[in-house]
Amino acid sequence: MWLPILGLLFGAIIGSAISFEIPLLYAKYMSVAVLASLDSVFGGVKAILEDKFDGTILLTGFFTNALLAALLAYLGDRLGVDLHMAAVFAFGVRLFQNLADIRHHILGKTLKDYNGHKRIS
Amino acid sequence: MDKKSWQIPVTIVLIFVGILLTLQFQTQTRVLTDLSAQKTEHLITMVRNLSDKRTSLVEELDDIETTLRELRVSGAAGVNIIENLNSDLRRLSIVNGTREVFGPGLTVTFSEYDPILYTDLILIINELWAAGAEAMAINDTRIALNSIIFYGEENNSMYITADHIPLSFPIVIKAIGNSNTLDKGLTLPGGIIDNLALYQAFPEIEQEEELALPAIEKNLVFYVAKDVDRN
Repeated sequence: MWLPILGLLFGAIIGSAISFEIPLLYAKYMSVAVLASLDSVFGGVKAILEDKFDGTILLTGFFTNALLAALLAYLGDRLGVDLHMAAVFAFGVRLFQNLADIRHHILGKTLKDYNGHKRIS
Repeated sequence: MDKKSWQIPVTIVLIFVGILLTLQFQTQTRVLTDLSAQKTEHLITMVRNLSDKRTSLVEELDDIETTLRELRVSGAAGVNIIENLNSDLRRLSIVNGTREVFGPGLTVTFSEYDPILYTDLILIINELWAAGAEAMAINDTRIALNSIIFYGEENNSMYITADHIPLSFPIVIKAIGNSNTLDKGLTLPGGIIDNLALYQAFPEIEQEEELALPAIEKNLVFYVAKDVDRN
């Protein structure tokens, strides 16, 4: 349980330590990529809770989602379509959906006496 | 499901998430401070603040320049005061006779054959002052405020003194001033020269382009006389 949290902290320390500066021009694509990766993480957490977790899916999903989101946003800018808005919308919705699912699962586990795995809405 | 099987991929992913998040935080901080990312209203406010600041700085600069100008002017005024004082001092020195003086004028020369008394010299000097002489000297003795023209006696002979200095012939009175006016003042009919002619004294009067009068040797010192302000 603590290992992923330690990983997150470790990553944060690395990110603070490296003096790599993303050009401001690409900050927008970077933000979409971050959103996509967060969605992947929450998707992974949801999968763990649902006992459907697959490490390969998480890893590939994480990187491809982030890269594709950034690429699509970039392409959208090239084409004159605000595709990054679409990415933000799509990943945002999924993020909240995943969070809601995670919440339900946790609640479902803590309230075991409440009809087993029955969903609480 | 085995715990370890999910922990490792999640950890890897979270490491990357951590890196991405911190990078994005840093980038976003830079974006927010970048001018091109500011909202128009904020930019307007910033421009207004900056132009206000600029105006106040310009005003401050104006004030400082005014002060500088005032200081310069007062400095120049100080220099002017000194110059005025110096020119006053020069003028007063000429009046007092404490300074050599040059200029056009007139010489009145008495030869040893002219039977004159010291009073004749006094009359001539008075006449010259009256005719507008600005400075005078007798035989290189400057006539000053307290000059005394008198006579002395020695071995049955009389001599004329100026400031207690015996005058030897020829006695030359030098007067600086308008030479024509001085000449007219002396030679007007019934004037001093006519009177002297009665006594067979015929001084030579010559107008000079350039005369040099010496300075008196000792300055006037006032021991008891006070000016109006100090009484």
